[in-house]
Amino acid sequence: MTQAKKLIAPGLTEAEAIERAKSGDAEAFEALYAFHKRRVYSLCLRMTGNTAQAEDFTQDAFMQLYRKIGTFRGESAFSTWLHRMAVNVVLMQLRKKGLPEISLDEMLEPLHEDGPRRDIGARDNVLAGSVDRVNLERAIADLPPGYRIVFTLHDVEGYEHNEIAEMMGCSIGNSKSQLHKARLKLRDLLKLRRAEKANRR
Amino acid sequence: MNRHHLKTALGVVALSATLLGSTLALPLPNDTRKQTFNLAPGGSVSIVNGGGSVTLHPSTGRQVVITATRYSDKVEIDFTNTPEARRVEARTHVLSAKSTSDESRVDYDVAVPAGISIVVNTSTAPITIENVDGDFSFSSDAGQITVRNAANSFVHVHSLTAPVSLSNLTGVHAEIMSSGGSVQMVSVTGPKVKVSTTSGDITYQGDCSGGGAYSLVTHSGAINVTLPETASVDLSAQSVSGSVINDFPFRERSHNTFVPTPGRSFAGTSHSGSSSVELQSFSGRIRVKQQ
Amino acid sequence: MNCQKYQENLPHTIDSGGNAEEEAHLQSCTECASVVQDLKYIANQAKLLLPMHDPSPRVWQNIQSSLRNEGLISEGRTSLMAQKTISQVPSSSSKAFSARAKSWTPLGWAIGLAAVVLLGVVLVNYHPTPTQPEVAQNSAAGQAQVVADQELIGQVSKQQPAMRATYEDSLKSVNAYIVDAKKTVEDNPEDSAAQRQLMDAYDQKAMLYEMATVRSLQ
Repeated sequence: MTQAKKLIAPGLTEAEAIERAKSGDAEAFEALYAFHKRRVYSLCLRMTGNTAQAEDFTQDAFMQLYRKIGTFRGESAFSTWLHRMAVNVVLMQLRKKGLPEISLDEMLEPLHEDGPRRDIGARDNVLAGSVDRVNLERAIADLPPGYRIVFTLHDVEGYEHNEIAEMMGCSIGNSKSQLHKARLKLRDLLKLRRAEKANRR
Repeated sequence: MNRHHLKTALGVVALSATLLGSTLALPLPNDTRKQTFNLAPGGSVSIVNGGGSVTLHPSTGRQVVITATRYSDKVEIDFTNTPEARRVEARTHVLSAKSTSDESRVDYDVAVPAGISIVVNTSTAPITIENVDGDFSFSSDAGQITVRNAANSFVHVHSLTAPVSLSNLTGVHAEIMSSGGSVQMVSVTGPKVKVSTTSGDITYQGDCSGGGAYSLVTHSGAINVTLPETASVDLSAQSVSGSVINDFPFRERSHNTFVPTPGRSFAGTSHSGSSSVELQSFSGRIRVKQQ
Repeated sequence: MNCQKYQENLPHTIDSGGNAEEEAHLQSCTECASVVQDLKYIANQAKLLLPMHDPSPRVWQNIQSSLRNEGLISEGRTSLMAQKTISQVPSSSSKAFSARAKSWTPLGWAIGLAAVVLLGVVLVNYHPTPTQPEVAQNSAAGQAQVVADQELIGQVSKQQPAMRATYEDSLKSVNAYIVDAKKTVEDNPEDSAAQRQLMDAYDQKAMLYEMATVRSLQ
């Protein structure tokens, strides 16, 4: 669906709302907020794992949007542009807070391999088919912050490693290794949960 | 072991301990379990239950006290809280698909502090909250949802056939959606009240003066609004094929999106018209009367 | 190639595929194959995660008051939430709408996706004189919707058989609502109240899908 035609409200296309918001029309801005709030909030929530922070960052992202919408030239889809802005807000704010949320070690430490993974009875033990959304969401929330951010950006939001590297100021190789570690960690967490569940039965 | 490995190993141990410690399986059938959590400011409480009931009332301080009663060992109750106590969750797991509704019911009695966000999901269990202010998001297929006595709260409700009853709410932001359940409001006022149903009836009773925006929309349900003589509202009512009956002494006015048609649409003002009230149906009957 | 070597390089090869030697190892080693299978499964499941939560309404209130404090919007324009008569103000009805459109969260089920496609197609094509391709799109989307509804009922009967009749009735009612509301919009294309009702109707349907989905996850 093209932006020009996408209706975000009765009789209001996204393109019209953007143009009106550029000239300071608060109602058009409200329509844009209403249409995009869930995606932006979910993104912030997954990146931070914390509802209060996610609300603050959503607010910051839309404040930025209001200030910067005049610079939107339509080179990319509006939603892509807005989400990128939200990601930058989250990363900037987390850095500002002195990075208790993202440990620099964790973010930038060179890759240390843990050696090959060996599973006893690996065949019976694969995850396929056993993970539901709730479990996965919880496991993501339990990831260390650096892993969580890279995983959310790449696997949930669909950013490429070069984009993540640029946004986070790290190398592409670093983004790839963080993602890999995040997935391995999730695998451990999900198996742990499954085992616990089985023990309780 | 280098620093990174050590950190990872410690993390796994700590996490395992948290997971094991926070997930509690109940030992015996027909039993009650009570647990107290200290919730961080701005935290949230989430209850997921099938049948039985969920009742919420005020607690003291920052405490959340959850009392869960189950009636068979065919259900399991999980209490989970995040380490920094931002989120407390209680969840019912039905262990066997064959268990009866009596066996799988769990009654939750939950004491909560004011100003937090509360999310409750149930299938047939009624949800009741009284004398608590906060952000509520309630969803039930068929269990009655009741919200009483709250100020400056956000109330979001989704219901399939569950009747919804709101009373004595001031300064409320309410967004209520129900497919077939009726929505009844008595003395519900605030900046925003939006109710939408497919076939459920909508009833509003009380003085909604004070500058709010009220919107009641339905396909085939009836809309009944009863206002006191003192109500200061700017009201419009419109139905595509249902009847619109007004017995309230409004000053009729023109409307800028439709030409009032007797019996189908109406627009009027009383006193200074401080609040806006929009009533809209497809085939449901709309009726406005004086208290 | 041994497991250690293979897994060392895995961060770089898992999404793009490895060289011939690595592929050969993967074929022959069940342990590495199970790691790769799990990691790919996790990545694929993550792609199916959809936005699930709306921010609390206080976020919008805070945005409004911040904009006001910074003088970015004037006093008269700040109380958007409490705007008068929704049908007069497109953005207010849009606000209500978008809460609806975005509350469509069918968790990556094919049925939900089909339904979202339908919603999009209809919203674009709400105007009364559709061109031929649009008509075709609408009917294709309509069929997809019928299939989606059947699958939804199938899921409900499996997960919560007692609720099947309730969901069936509700779907029937909401589909009738959509048909009626669409007809009204087609008859009165300029009527913003009619458009709002159509969006309300879609929102009602979105709610059914969302509730069925959330319940089945329990």
